[in-house]
Amino acid sequence: MEIITFLIPLALILALFFIGGFIWMTMKGQYDDLETPGHRMLLDETKTETNLNKNFNQTQKGDL
Amino acid sequence: MSNCLHCDQEVLTSFFSSESERETSISIGPFCCKGCLTVYGILKNKGLSHNYYQIKKDGQPFRSRAPANPSTNQYTFLDSKDFQAEYTYLNHNKERTIEFYLEGIHCLACLWVIEKLPSFLPGVLSSKLNLGRSVAIITINESGSFASVARELDHIGYRPHPLKINQSESEYKLKEERRNLLRIGIAGAASGNIMLYAISLYAGAGKEYEHLFNLITVLFALPVLTFSAYPFYKNSFNALKTKSISIDVPISLALIMGGIMGFYNLLIGVPENYFDSLTALVFLLLLSRYFLKSIQEKGLNSTDLNFFYSGENYQKAINLGLSEFSEIHPKQLNLGDIIKISPEQMIPADGTVIRGQSYLNNSLITGESELQKISEGENVFSGTQNISREILLKVTSLPKESRLGKILQNIENGWSHKSNIVSLSNTVSKYFISIVFLLSLFLLFFVLKSSGLKSALERSLTLLIVTCPCALAIATPLTFTRSLSLSAQNGIIIKDDAVIEKMSKAKTVFLDKTGTISERESEISEFKIIKKSHIEIGSIVHNLEKNSRHPVAITLKNYFPNDSQSFDVIDHKETPGKGVSGFINGHHYVISKYSIYENDELIAQFKLTEKIKKDASQAISKLKNLGLDVKIISGDKTEKVQFLASNVGLTNNDCLGELSPEMKWDQIKNSSSTIMVGDGANDAIALKSADTGIAVYGAMDISLRAADIYLTTPGLFQVVKLIVLSKETMKVIYRNLFLSLAYNSVSVILAFTGAISPLAAAVIMPLSSLTVLLSSSIGTKELRGLWK
Repeated sequence: MEIITFLIPLALILALFFIGGFIWMTMKGQYDDLETPGHRMLLDETKTETNLNKNFNQTQKGDL
Repeated sequence: MSNCLHCDQEVLTSFFSSESERETSISIGPFCCKGCLTVYGILKNKGLSHNYYQIKKDGQPFRSRAPANPSTNQYTFLDSKDFQAEYTYLNHNKERTIEFYLEGIHCLACLWVIEKLPSFLPGVLSSKLNLGRSVAIITINESGSFASVARELDHIGYRPHPLKINQSESEYKLKEERRNLLRIGIAGAASGNIMLYAISLYAGAGKEYEHLFNLITVLFALPVLTFSAYPFYKNSFNALKTKSISIDVPISLALIMGGIMGFYNLLIGVPENYFDSLTALVFLLLLSRYFLKSIQEKGLNSTDLNFFYSGENYQKAINLGLSEFSEIHPKQLNLGDIIKISPEQMIPADGTVIRGQSYLNNSLITGESELQKISEGENVFSGTQNISREILLKVTSLPKESRLGKILQNIENGWSHKSNIVSLSNTVSKYFISIVFLLSLFLLFFVLKSSGLKSALERSLTLLIVTCPCALAIATPLTFTRSLSLSAQNGIIIKDDAVIEKMSKAKTVFLDKTGTISERESEISEFKIIKKSHIEIGSIVHNLEKNSRHPVAITLKNYFPNDSQSFDVIDHKETPGKGVSGFINGHHYVISKYSIYENDELIAQFKLTEKIKKDASQAISKLKNLGLDVKIISGDKTEKVQFLASNVGLTNNDCLGELSPEMKWDQIKNSSSTIMVGDGANDAIALKSADTGIAVYGAMDISLRAADIYLTTPGLFQVVKLIVLSKETMKVIYRNLFLSLAYNSVSVILAFTGAISPLAAAVIMPLSSLTVLLSSSIGTKELRGLWK
């Protein structure tokens, strides 16, 4: 039964790790738009793309 | 039958890339309209068409909506400093961002092409589309121009409407949304973890672990009972403050009692608590409310349009000679501005005509179906539509101070408030909580005599916890969610679930006339030819009225097939109020006042009547069968209303004409349990004050805002289905109420006999929730067959 003294803290750490991850992701805005990203991932990047403005860094902090 | 290559709608009269190509095999098409063809051409030129149509074919249509017709708007105002200061924001890299609400967003391909903007428009840095809200967020650098972005979007079939960005408000909303998600996530994670330890305890974990497990459970329950359950406490507090009881009150009570008992047991070392049931309850409750809220927001967002007119821009005179014009957004109009109103444009502000003669369509403002003739010096109201010719208008009052603006303000300030009804679940809660309190007091004294204070307190507390009406609280939002999404799939947007309950109790339906029962266009009911043949008359009509946009002319042209020979019309005249005249082959022809003359001799006469919507009579008789009192209230002339009423099976007593918007409101106020169905600005106050306001397809956006429900597909029969839907939904809710009360009675009996324990609660609570969930998802037979 000693194994349980190892398993319980492990389970707790795992649980807290995932809860922490969830809080972090939510605060980062991962779940702000639940609809579009699901569609967006279905689109393939194709060679026709010639981005005229490649120097643009995607989203910036504080742009919300 | 074939489908349009671009928008996939069924094509009746197909439109090909060019007339000559129709016969050859290389023709491209069919298209439903010129708009779709243009969009196709643009995409093809940019080398985007292959991917676009491939994606479109693979993906499911996201929403059945055709692309907006391309307009000739230049959007130059988008680059003006004033506009940008108000509508856009600048980041530290001098990049500007704007949000556009886009008309016509309907599928995956839309997403693809809009997010491809940076690849073919210089100066555009990023373009992100939110499909659910139809909002694109576009960032440009200093070399880019919003006007060119807007023109491009317009050309490919998505008419853009700039949205005003209220940063603090949208940030607050975003934070609130994130917090709600956190509440759900934490409740879910905690209840899952608690279950692990609770099951071990129920299964008989050894003495040495009991206290540890209990401690862990309490620790996990702590954030759920405080942070996650906060909305319930807040709602109960608000309800109690107004001396009413909502369903959140018994829930909060159970949570607080459960918390107290759990901590007390932890302190005295008894490994017993109800946290497994209570945390799962919080999780499911939050989740069901979240579903309901998200489906409501979807409907709300589509009406939450931050613009007033249908995105039209106007030409404003910029010199005194009135010869040069620049484009202006209606929001930027100032007093004294002179603007050009083209035919078919809406008038954006009250003003005086300073040049030109035309007809106005007042039906959206007053409900009158007849056109009003206007000429120089006359005053016109905003919200009316210019019909036949270009006019110049001097703005005399700003859009927000105009007649229409005032109606809008009234609606937003809410002086025409609805009567609030207490929802079923809140009514039940009131009785419920008093019965449960009485029972637990009774139990307290009952046990006090036999086994002492401690056990008596414990058992009466337990009763309060286990009789929590959780099943009802979970099932009600889910039942509404189901009905709301069912109606949304069929083109009915319901903004608020409370109207379903109100609608199911409705006694009187008020219908507007023009635009609701009848079409805005009229039809020819009688055509008497005195001289000449049908074909000859048709030819005269088509030649004389070729360029006329007068509604009578359009009706006439539609009446005769367009295969007539074209002649030269000499001395062609069109005078508002007098009709058209001209010489064809030496004969003088006049079309005036529903008659056609040849050299002053009458050759034909016709009559116009209002065209009644196809399903109107059927819908009205069905409404009567449902036991509703159907009445027509209109701003049009009483004779016209009575004539129309007799055609749809109503008597003169059922209809009222010549009503002002305020008089319509009076009618609604004087009856109870009302439904108002309408479309124009003159219906807006009535829509707002009726218990249920339904705006029909094609309604003005002011009515859309005032209404609780709006129809995105034409036809009055949707109203009938909506009422059936509400009645059936309430049946399901009553059934759930019965089921959940049955489970609660079992808990009460167990509590009285002393057989209740955390284990019994852990079985009964999920079981009752599951039963009502099943009942909600099954619905009723009629609910399932409603849109088959």
